[in-house]
Amino acid sequence: MAMETFSYDNKIVRNFAFATAIYGVVGMAVGLLVALQIFEPAANLGSQYTTFGRIRPLHTNAVIFAFVGNGIFMGVYYSLQRLCKARMFSDVLSKLHFWGWQLIIVSAVVTLPLGLTTSKEYAELEWPIDILITVVWVIFGINMIGTIMKRREKHMYVAIWFYLATFLTVAMLHVVNSLGLPVSLFKSYSVFAGVQDALVQWWYGHNAVAFFLTTPYLGLMYYFLPKAANRPVFSYRLSIIHFWALIFIYIWAGPHHLLYNALPDWAQSLGTVFSIMLIAPSWGGMLNGLLTLRGAWDRVRQDPILKFMVVAVTAYGMATFEGPLLSVKSINALTHFTDWTIAHVHVGGLGWNGFLTFGILYWLIPRIYQTQLYSVKLANAHFWIGTLGILGYAIPMYWAGLTQGLMWKQFTDEGFLQYPIFLETVLQIVPMYMFRAIGGGIYLIGAIVGVYNLVLTARQGTLLAEEQASAPALVADTEPDTAKNVYGHRWIESRPVQFLVATLIAVTIGGVIEFVPAFLIKSNVPTIESVQPYTALELSGRDIYIREGCNTCHSQQVRPFRSETERYGEYSKPGEFVYDHPFLWGSKRIGPDLARIGDKYPDAWHYNHMIDPRSMSPGSLMPPYPWLADQSIDLSIIGKKLSVMKTLGVPYSDEEVSSAADNTMAQAREISEGLAASGINVESDREIVALIAYLQRLGTDLKAQRVSDNKQYKPKPYVRRGY
Amino acid sequence: MSAKRVKDELLDHDYDGIQELDNDLPPWWLYLFYFTIAWSVAYLIYFHVLGGDLQEAEYLAEMKAAEVMKKELLAEQARQGAAAALTTQLTDDESLARGKVVYTTHCLACHGAYGEGGVGPNMTDEYWIHGGTMTDVVNTILNGVPAKGMISWRPVLKPDEITEVASFILSLQGTNPPNGKAPEGEKVGG
Repeated sequence: MAMETFSYDNKIVRNFAFATAIYGVVGMAVGLLVALQIFEPAANLGSQYTTFGRIRPLHTNAVIFAFVGNGIFMGVYYSLQRLCKARMFSDVLSKLHFWGWQLIIVSAVVTLPLGLTTSKEYAELEWPIDILITVVWVIFGINMIGTIMKRREKHMYVAIWFYLATFLTVAMLHVVNSLGLPVSLFKSYSVFAGVQDALVQWWYGHNAVAFFLTTPYLGLMYYFLPKAANRPVFSYRLSIIHFWALIFIYIWAGPHHLLYNALPDWAQSLGTVFSIMLIAPSWGGMLNGLLTLRGAWDRVRQDPILKFMVVAVTAYGMATFEGPLLSVKSINALTHFTDWTIAHVHVGGLGWNGFLTFGILYWLIPRIYQTQLYSVKLANAHFWIGTLGILGYAIPMYWAGLTQGLMWKQFTDEGFLQYPIFLETVLQIVPMYMFRAIGGGIYLIGAIVGVYNLVLTARQGTLLAEEQASAPALVADTEPDTAKNVYGHRWIESRPVQFLVATLIAVTIGGVIEFVPAFLIKSNVPTIESVQPYTALELSGRDIYIREGCNTCHSQQVRPFRSETERYGEYSKPGEFVYDHPFLWGSKRIGPDLARIGDKYPDAWHYNHMIDPRSMSPGSLMPPYPWLADQSIDLSIIGKKLSVMKTLGVPYSDEEVSSAADNTMAQAREISEGLAASGINVESDREIVALIAYLQRLGTDLKAQRVSDNKQYKPKPYVRRGY
Repeated sequence: MSAKRVKDELLDHDYDGIQELDNDLPPWWLYLFYFTIAWSVAYLIYFHVLGGDLQEAEYLAEMKAAEVMKKELLAEQARQGAAAALTTQLTDDESLARGKVVYTTHCLACHGAYGEGGVGPNMTDEYWIHGGTMTDVVNTILNGVPAKGMISWRPVLKPDEITEVASFILSLQGTNPPNGKAPEGEKVGG
């Protein structure tokens, strides 16, 4: 058979590798900054652009899409070429992919601190960047599938299955969850509202973890771990079963992020059971990783690369066992909205993604630079520093989560909340927040040591940009396949198109079955008569709430527990959110829930609290927002906002749309006059006025309903619908 | 896992030097998978066919249990003749000192360090918006005045704390602190 010679493109691998290393350090450094702000608000550097609500999304986006994202592409571009015995399909596409992805990251670094955000977790970037992501992702897909099409290896190895599932599913998740109507170049509203928006968002959010942080990394594990250990993969059968089970089941589990929220019970139950069923398929990956190391454990003790990989796979196993446990309602009732979740994701993020990335970098950089690792000692040091960092991060957060969760629920014998002041439960865990920052700082130091080691490794070698290789051409079915055909799976392994179709079916079913009834069956979101659309001013205030990322610290979701209805008021109902494009339920309570904050405090309280939280709430850890009293409401765009909302189905009248700016100012003047009576002088066109209007509206529609049920309807302080 | 199932037979695959073994699925893994599937089916049947308590029913049961507990507690207190004299104004220094602590923690932000008012009204003058008797003040604290932004302290303060802080507030009458807010409401007494 004729041998063909060709070369592997190592330069693109090198580029992605360096982007991974740089963004790893940057993303973790931003993480450290937000960790400091949680116990020391002054660490926001006194600027709106570096305040928690805006840069917490910068941290998550940087570590997920910049660090892990570049890590995925590094590993895929290295392994895919070798597994296919072919160069990447197109050098031009490779370059477009690389630079396009870096452009996305730079746009995120610019827009998120500016407060340009959709508020949807891990999908915060606004619509022009969403389109760019789609384009670059498709370029990646074409380049990958093109390479597979011209492969010289008849069958696709398990790593490639995971890569294909990643490409397809992420494309689907990103496009559906990002559907929005633009208001301006940097502002859009989700086409979904309330319950449906929440369901779509957490279908996305959960599966971003599944198909961005898990499946591609399992693919990388299947290539780099046997390579580094020089051992055969433990079980081919296990790869087949756990691959298909994993991708099919994962997609259903999103609603476990919304347990006890205003989501229909059947959807919650599906979230729970599919999470439980995920344990075995997830562990299949861990087992195949760990059992591949049988016979190589003596080397694990010496080789830092294997050490990184072993801890990574173990962390994966721990996180994927813990996840299903947190999806059991009785456990979730305690842990949801607490730092337990933060601990959980960081075991996965720092352990699984972080350590596997560094293991791969240490294996790959010396190879493409034709040299040895600069210092094995430093790599070992990095391993131990990093491990200490993970423990130093996770243990305080578990402690904090458990402590606060229990405090929220504790009643006295007399039937009162033991800790009725939310702040008390925050101040209790401040020491844990400090330890967490130290743990994270230690991990970051490890990462810097690692990058230093890698740079010196690259310096002492020379990049083998074009690695020569040769393989026989793939001639269709000249020889019968002699390999054992387990489950008949060999058939599909040689047919990428059929493989993609089967994958598409597997990852679509769960979403369709959950979305269709939630969108079409009216009983899932019972109507509440008294729920009315926001006034123009309130909508402006809501957009300021989104811009400042208030939802990163404050939920708007009272769960049906006595401990929550005592603390906050009536539990949240699906019908309350029908005009919420996007929903703002939140996923973490660093501060108290705000679903029932309306009419609870006077406007003056909110004003003072926003300018200096500690003046109204001594000891509070909320950052001050003085710029809201300086900046003016953008009146030029308010009419457009209402008209976009109207298009999305919010029942604004034409008159309300056309006089939106006037109505905004009329309501704003009423508030500023009220403030003046309390001795606070603020121009009525200031953003803080809009934010106060929004906060005072939250949860009041439901109260109006209750009053009218009792036949003693009283008008609310502002005649809101008049505007 | 048994030795039989781990036969470590190499499959005739080789991907860039990576080989795969033809080992069976570890049995405990497989049984775990079956178990989770069976558990899931049972879970769905229990809650959605047999009518297990979903979240609303669960909430109502929790509230009912709390109600029962509260009633028992009240009955117990009544038996002991210790029915809380919520509206009895206290004047002893100790109670007033405790009331001051509660005031400083919860009331100061809006009503000022000396009761001179701020976000909320002045409480040192003779003018009251919601009445100035001990009963009125206790009621205002207990139920709040939501329309004006005074929150209900019922879930926050214990009964004796309410009595103490209300007594402390009334002890501020006529202290005339600096920067007092202009009178609001009706003139009471005097």
